[in-house]
Amino acid sequence: MAADESLVAKGEYLLHAGGCITCHTKDEEDAIPLAGGRALESPFGTFYSPNITPDVDTGIGGWSDDDFTTALWEGLNPQGDHYFPAFPFTAYTGISRDDALAIKAYLFSIDAVSRTNLEHDLPFYMSTRLAAGAWKLRYFDAGRFTPDTEQSDQWNRGAYLVRHFGHCGECHTPRGRLGVLLEDEELAGNPEFGDDETVPNITADKKHGIGRWSLSDIEYFLDIGMLPDGDFTGGAMGAVIEDNTSQLTREDRLAIATYIKSLPAKQIVL
Amino acid sequence: MQLRRTGALIGIAAMLGLSVQVAAETLAEDAKKYRVSIMTTLKGHIGAASMTVRGLVDDNGQLAGHAAGLVSGTAELNNIFQEGSAVDDSEALPSIWEQPEKFAAAMKQAQEATVAFQEAVAGGDSEAIGAAFRSMGKSCGGCHDDFREEHDH
Repeated sequence: MAADESLVAKGEYLLHAGGCITCHTKDEEDAIPLAGGRALESPFGTFYSPNITPDVDTGIGGWSDDDFTTALWEGLNPQGDHYFPAFPFTAYTGISRDDALAIKAYLFSIDAVSRTNLEHDLPFYMSTRLAAGAWKLRYFDAGRFTPDTEQSDQWNRGAYLVRHFGHCGECHTPRGRLGVLLEDEELAGNPEFGDDETVPNITADKKHGIGRWSLSDIEYFLDIGMLPDGDFTGGAMGAVIEDNTSQLTREDRLAIATYIKSLPAKQIVL
Repeated sequence: MQLRRTGALIGIAAMLGLSVQVAAETLAEDAKKYRVSIMTTLKGHIGAASMTVRGLVDDNGQLAGHAAGLVSGTAELNNIFQEGSAVDDSEALPSIWEQPEKFAAAMKQAQEATVAFQEAVAGGDSEAIGAAFRSMGKSCGGCHDDFREEHDH
């Protein structure tokens, strides 16, 4: 039992690292966490996040361990249908089996909520999940994270958290044709993020990025949302901080900062 | 005519030895500029205070000064959101004037949070100071979330 409890606690922690709560919870005060229904607007239509509470009929209560890892790693639901990459399986594919199953253990420990998923609101060319399948065939490589032995443990922990759990690049990395992330421009900002929104460049460029931020500045920002000049962020990043990064240990936030600071400076002007 | 009457009133008041303050209608652009100045002042105090709260800079008594600045700066919030002053590159959202009760509650929360921070600083317990600083930040971010245009930093 004690082992189960520690697995559930680990899963809860990793759920925050993975940013699951923000998208899988409706953007309303008093919304039930993880019961889905949040509208995710994108240039490819509006996606509604599904219920991931353990309700058998409307949530993921009927899923096996392999169903869960296949969803995270391959972007496939238990029926074998493709998920659209609004679900960041392209990032979660790097998560280890142990970590994935810890998250599942936590999700199965919370109260089941009956809430039927909403249909996505997509343009005609996206209206079949086969489109998602074709996209994956062309642009997606599944695979677990492997540490870079030339780098420190702290850097590798940061890389694992940023690239795979936190999926920071989903918002902060610019996209090319068909929404493919431009890997050479990792975290260099996204000038076209939904409705007239831009997402900042967080590479080490001093003018356009966060090159003037210290490790401590980044760690503290991820903890309480304060920018180095004393301003406080609101909006989407405010939610990310509140739901996710502020719940992590200081060591993990420093690892994230270490990895981010190591990225080459890019000059994407937003 | 209006000017002459005002002048006459000032003259009478001066004769009676009263101090006179002519309340001018503040122009929208000046109200906006003043608001930005107050916010910049708050930002400066918070940024500087955070260096001490984070343990990066010793407190040689300056933290109390920053706390006092935050208390007086947030007290001024009541006076800086003149209706119609969302001009030029203002980031103030219409929701400020559309939801006055919600906005007033958010300002009050910020004011109470800075007073609590000042009290924590006076108390001298670093853990309490850190916690009070955190909830002060939460009040800033919460208000920005609802009432300020989202922007890149």
